[in-house]
Amino acid sequence: MLDVHGLGKVYEGSGRRTEAVRDLTFSVAAGELVCLVGPSGCGKTTLLKCVGGLLAPTAGEVRLAGRTVDGPPPGMAFVFQEYGRSLLPWMRVGQNVELPLKQKRLSRERRRALVADALESVGLADAAGAYPWQLSGGMQQRVAIARALAYEPEVLLMDEPFAAVDAQTRAELEDLVRRLWRERGITILFVTHDIDEAVYLGERVLVLSASPTVVQQQLKVDLPVERDQLHTRVDPRFAELRTRVYEQVQAAKLGR
Amino acid sequence: MRGSDAALGAAGFAVFVLLGEAVPRLGLVDEDHFPPAGRIAGALGRELSDTAFWSALGDTLTGWALGLAIAVSAGVVAGVVISVVPWLREVTASTIEFLRPIPSVALIPLAVLLYGTELRSVLLLVVYASFWQVLIQVLYGVRDVDPVAEETARSYGLGAWARVRHVLWPSALPYVMTGVRLAAAVALILAVTAELVIGAPGLGARIAVAQTSQAVPEMYALIVVTGVLGLLINVGARAVERRALAWHQSVRGEVAV
Repeated sequence: MLDVHGLGKVYEGSGRRTEAVRDLTFSVAAGELVCLVGPSGCGKTTLLKCVGGLLAPTAGEVRLAGRTVDGPPPGMAFVFQEYGRSLLPWMRVGQNVELPLKQKRLSRERRRALVADALESVGLADAAGAYPWQLSGGMQQRVAIARALAYEPEVLLMDEPFAAVDAQTRAELEDLVRRLWRERGITILFVTHDIDEAVYLGERVLVLSASPTVVQQQLKVDLPVERDQLHTRVDPRFAELRTRVYEQVQAAKLGR
Repeated sequence: MRGSDAALGAAGFAVFVLLGEAVPRLGLVDEDHFPPAGRIAGALGRELSDTAFWSALGDTLTGWALGLAIAVSAGVVAGVVISVVPWLREVTASTIEFLRPIPSVALIPLAVLLYGTELRSVLLLVVYASFWQVLIQVLYGVRDVDPVAEETARSYGLGAWARVRHVLWPSALPYVMTGVRLAAAVALILAVTAELVIGAPGLGARIAVAQTSQAVPEMYALIVVTGVLGLLINVGARAVERRALAWHQSVRGEVAV
């Protein structure tokens, strides 16, 4: 579904040359949920923006369903960490969710149905008429997720989406992502710096090295598909996996 | 709290009017040049019942409104275009910084040369003065577009026009509104100045006539009218601003979440 091959990104400006991403190769199968973890500042966001077609890579390429990504592709939706800035404060929740659909030349009824369905899925069916800033942080991020769902993407890119919400909201949103992934069969690439989150959510975890970034290790998460915050997190296998990921991230920090 | 503020404001204004009445009556200033407030009020009453006054007011408002409309449209279009086209900003920056500080009144001789005492003279000065207010604010406003909002729009495949309409324009709107409010005030000043100096028909010209014909209370009455106009324009501009920016932090206030 999603193939990243030899991806590199070098920022050049004001006489400084920064190699953010060196040589990344990985692929994500259709319907898979893959988490990317790595030490902070390791170029996770740069990588995701290259995958999403928001940044042009300086080396390598990203292919979505066999086609090279050279701009934001239609089958891809992006959920940003900064939900407060990603939602438009002058539009109501419903309008925010609907805006991307207007570009898709869908009929009015179809748009309405998609918006209602997406808001329903994230548990905000009655918030369509509110402004984003009238909602709590967790609810705002739900709106951003609903906007992505309504867009009916094949691939959903999530850039540390829960880094700015409190622990309980975060647990709820993690379960929401798991549920939506299972219900809708979307391919999800989820970037996080939180090791527990990566193991809890992912079917596979890619550990990235420190910048300039390469894939340090890949790890299959062989936990049951049915996961919940109470039991999964005390599962001995969960502890084992998180320890292994933790070791890898530590090693990555030290550049080994 | 608001009620007592309003009461204090009214009391202050009453004291001001009373002083305006008492000081000339007590002979502290020359009554011929500073007529008491009562006589100014009387003159104002006579003005209000004179059709010539109303047509002068209409002329001034026409010059103001037309000039402002032209300046705002031109300022917005120029501002957006300069901001959107990458190299235009660098190309125009020095020219804008050079032209902007030129006082509009310095163009009076040019206006007279070109258009005499026609409305177009007034418009030239009004537009020149208020255009920069709008342009500068639009330039700042466009720069204030949140990169995350812009990237969100791009990631969802919004084209250039859709991004201008749904992201750039609403982001810049608070600045545009400030620019329009400033421009509205400046436009009135320039409209009256142009009429006063050039003699284009309007309140300014009427003030000049009152002055030369020694109708001192009438002159003051007309000055009061221009003051009231300025006040109304500011109040109106703020009301429009509040309506258009109901979603903005500065207007919506704190929200309980």
